[in-house]
Amino acid sequence: MNSRLYNSPAGRVFDIFNYVMLGILGILTVLPFLYIIGNSFATEAEITERSFFLIPKVFSFSAYEYIFSSSTIFRSIGVSIFVTVAGTLVNLFFTLTMAYPLSRSDFWGRNVMMNMVIFSMLFGGGMIPTYLVIRGLGLLDSYWALMLPGAISAFNLIVVKNFFQQMPPGLEEAARIDGCSDLGVLWRIVLPLSKPVIATFALFYAVGHWNNFFSALLYISDSDKWPLQVMLRQIVLLSQASVGDMANMDPNFVQPPEQSIKMAVIVVGTIPILLVYPFLQKHFAKGVMLGSIKG
Amino acid sequence: MGQKTGFKKGALLLSASLVLSTVLGACATDKAGSGTAGGGTDQITIMLPNFEAENPPDNSPVIQKLEELTKVDVNLQWVPSSSYEDKFNITLASGKLPDVMVVLGKSPSFINAARTGAFWELGPYLKDYPNLSQMNEIITNNASIDGKTYGIYRARALGRNGVTIRKDWLEKLGLEEPKTIDEFYNILKAFTKDDPDGNGKDDTYGLVASKFTGPWDNMQIWFGAPNKWGDDGNGGLMPAHETPEYMEALKFFRQIYSEGLVNKDFAVMDATKLPDPFVNGQAGVMVDVADNAQRMDQKILEKDPSATGHVDVLQAMEGPKGLRDMPTSGYSGMIAISKSSVKTEEDLKKVLSFLDQLNEPELQALLGNGLEGKQYEKKEGYVIPTTDKLALRDVQGLNQILMFIPEDKTLRVQQTPVREKVAQVQKANEEIVIANPGEPLISDVYAQKGPQLDNIINDARIKFIVGQIDEKGFQDAVALWKSSGGDDYVKEVNELYAALK
Amino acid sequence: MNGKTDWNGNGATAAQVEMAALPMKRESNWKRQFKRNKWLYVLVLPGFLYFVIFKYLPMWGIVIAFQDYQPFLGIRDSQWVGMENFTNFFSNPDFFRLLRNTLVLALYDLIFFFPAPIIIALLLNEIRVAFFKRTIQTLVYVPHFVSMVIIASITYVFLTPQGGVLYDLISWITGKPIDVLASPGSFRPLIIVQMMWKEMGWGTIIFLAALAGVDTEQYEASIVDGAGRLRRMWHITLPAIRTTIVILLILRLGNFLDTGFEQIYLMTNSLNRDVADVFDTYVYTVGITQGAFSYSTAVGLFKSVVGIILVLGSNKLAKKFGHPGIY
Repeated sequence: MNSRLYNSPAGRVFDIFNYVMLGILGILTVLPFLYIIGNSFATEAEITERSFFLIPKVFSFSAYEYIFSSSTIFRSIGVSIFVTVAGTLVNLFFTLTMAYPLSRSDFWGRNVMMNMVIFSMLFGGGMIPTYLVIRGLGLLDSYWALMLPGAISAFNLIVVKNFFQQMPPGLEEAARIDGCSDLGVLWRIVLPLSKPVIATFALFYAVGHWNNFFSALLYISDSDKWPLQVMLRQIVLLSQASVGDMANMDPNFVQPPEQSIKMAVIVVGTIPILLVYPFLQKHFAKGVMLGSIKG
Repeated sequence: MGQKTGFKKGALLLSASLVLSTVLGACATDKAGSGTAGGGTDQITIMLPNFEAENPPDNSPVIQKLEELTKVDVNLQWVPSSSYEDKFNITLASGKLPDVMVVLGKSPSFINAARTGAFWELGPYLKDYPNLSQMNEIITNNASIDGKTYGIYRARALGRNGVTIRKDWLEKLGLEEPKTIDEFYNILKAFTKDDPDGNGKDDTYGLVASKFTGPWDNMQIWFGAPNKWGDDGNGGLMPAHETPEYMEALKFFRQIYSEGLVNKDFAVMDATKLPDPFVNGQAGVMVDVADNAQRMDQKILEKDPSATGHVDVLQAMEGPKGLRDMPTSGYSGMIAISKSSVKTEEDLKKVLSFLDQLNEPELQALLGNGLEGKQYEKKEGYVIPTTDKLALRDVQGLNQILMFIPEDKTLRVQQTPVREKVAQVQKANEEIVIANPGEPLISDVYAQKGPQLDNIINDARIKFIVGQIDEKGFQDAVALWKSSGGDDYVKEVNELYAALK
Repeated sequence: MNGKTDWNGNGATAAQVEMAALPMKRESNWKRQFKRNKWLYVLVLPGFLYFVIFKYLPMWGIVIAFQDYQPFLGIRDSQWVGMENFTNFFSNPDFFRLLRNTLVLALYDLIFFFPAPIIIALLLNEIRVAFFKRTIQTLVYVPHFVSMVIIASITYVFLTPQGGVLYDLISWITGKPIDVLASPGSFRPLIIVQMMWKEMGWGTIIFLAALAGVDTEQYEASIVDGAGRLRRMWHITLPAIRTTIVILLILRLGNFLDTGFEQIYLMTNSLNRDVADVFDTYVYTVGITQGAFSYSTAVGLFKSVVGIILVLGSNKLAKKFGHPGIY
């Protein structure tokens, strides 16, 4: 690259400013999470005392021991991974196949369909009617209930469609001239060039699946099929039991699990999905599109 | 080139997932069919919340023993507590109710369902059962809907509220346990100003409170204010905040706040953080449920195992009208029997018989403690729960169907002095609690505007306490309350009250 | 990005030739399109079915906004109340206060929060040290995963008048103590700052994806022309992601009246309720005593109607300015 671009004095000042600002931002945003990780390794006593800031004086693994003491947690991790991977594939399949035709200006019916999508984005029947539909389809207690109801996010669909629309039309025309069918154009030209977009929405959908506990709570009664977040949420709820909740428990109720457990739950529930993004980052490299356009 | 294999890979992955999920789905449905009882016994399905992270497995020995003793095939449908309300509503909407449901509160959907015939009215049948016939009248009244009993309440300590206090600080300062409000005030002052922890620093204060308004409601009653609704002198009811005693209490609160005897940030502090200042040695008094005392004790011991005897619990402070305390409703949810699956009176009687049996000491111990040798060991009249998590899982959550009528007969864990005091206090409180006459009344006005109306008064109360508004300001708020629907509310409540008498 | 040259590097001649070779058909334009693009219809089928089954089929549930819906009775037997839920909502003495609070918060969100991810994405784009860029990118979106409950808790710990670090700092700097947690004046800024902290980084992801497709040739050309950093950003980078920004803006307007319920609920207390109460928190508290369904559906319907008006309106507006809009 041309280092001339960047080494002008104004450019350098800008650079320094930029690096510093972003560096501070990075620290500010990661601090609370470090706080959480630190707390997850602390003893209850230290947490109440707030005797440390990020790193506890005494390290304790009891929170993690508590969480992993049951076999059900491991099973639920497996369920979560499965639903996230399979679910994201389902999402991508439905979203990409629908976004492409909608991006084509010569697709008759496009406006009608877009209206349908936008309308559904804003208007909805709510929890109970959706539940009844799922039940009517016989999907209760199945993994499909976790993957199908959210198969397409209208928001995602619209943005993906928009990205497709931004592709240079010349590309598609040329491919068509070469004898490519619509499917082929989608598969061979559009998708490969949309890697950043696909990566982005794969990430969004994946995160959505990973964090989703509500669908499981509603549709799945078989505790063997509960994803991780359901288990974790229960644990957090217990550790957060306030006076009102105490009333529901056994009069002999022993103290709820510790604060450190609440923190450990967040760590366990979050780190796996956090690790996905760095892997997807290579698809965000600049210039992916451009090799094909050079004259 | 790469695209073709990419395609294949993707398709392969997708179809693999599809196959996997169908297989898993098939396997799961098999499991649901496995029963554990011998043939010829009755079956009862129960929907109940789980306040733990895991459910007992279907083959839990505790459940098996339960079925053995009751001669009923028990089918438990567990629902995580975090979604119980939603699941409850969905079940109502789906029309397929289980035989027995734990109802966590008198939610509007439950009230409406009961009124429109979803559940059996149990009142007339209860006298035939040895335990159920002993249901406490006040609590039954509290749990009723339109005067009718649609579920067996799950008993909780009626006199549950108390004052938790740092005994070691009292001792250090050479002070007696406070008994009256004036003594209480002096204690708070001493805790704040006289360095009760003896570390030479001005880092302590008296009372710790949070966003949760319970403590204020509680302490007001000490001053003679009624519990939400009081006698208006004409045989009717008037709201507590219109009584002069209420204002007296508020003035007291305002005074102790302005003198720094209460934590400055109570209005913004989350209720879950309430224990922290107490355990950390910043605050010396907490007005809350009495059993919190044993929790505080435990936490303090965790920090410093030699710190025994630091916590004590008291009933209430005596005010101008004597010793008064705030009760709980006496129950937490109830157990309702659905008409759609329990179709005949004969079936109903079988279910009631089952529920009645759950109150026998043997069954209370079974569902509350578990099996001896598995979930606990007996020692000198106490039980020591096992630390084996897997064993505990077999019993966890089963206590949700216990009703504790006529009283709690589960086996006790080892009593610490604090635990014993808590039990004492809770029992003694039953004599001095002031019931809320409006508790059983279901008001339509409240359903529509309740939270708003409550906010007007609660916010005004807080603002008065911290000194943001004065007495006139509070009276303005009361006037606003009245004109925003409060007057209608009072009128309606009085009509309902008269109808029930 | 202007498609003037095609794949072969020739002019549009190849395409033109093909067009000229086709016989001119004027009738049944849509029939012809259908036949030509039949595979597109196959492609769109799964998604279309999805919307019909999972979005439109349950949509009849909206009628409960006009009922006094009770789960046990179901939709068929629940009482019809017409517009009563709506009149209750609008004639509520607090309605204007709620509206004010909701609107102000929505505007703050649009003005302060919306541009933030864009700016960060642009700044990140200028970083050339790949390691630093990737690291910051990853760090910056971590708060998205931290639950609001924790954030509220941390906020309390830092800002409590009873020994909060930031509270002490603020009173030291400004000379007088400011109870940020209780003061009505600081509520909205606090909410926005919390929201930015949590979601700013996550929001950059979409823009970074858009930036990945920007033509570097244009950069190089502009350097030659002597354009400085900011100039380049303004004239090249921004326009390149302009369409994305507009789309996201339009979509954001669809949820205009949606405020972060959980966040506001957690940060509300007796002292700031006057400015803190919004539609969402109100519906929630009413729902507990009244039964959430009909009332919240009615309010939701109201919000949806406003949303769709805003979406359609802004879409038209965008098109007037030459943007593609949503459709």
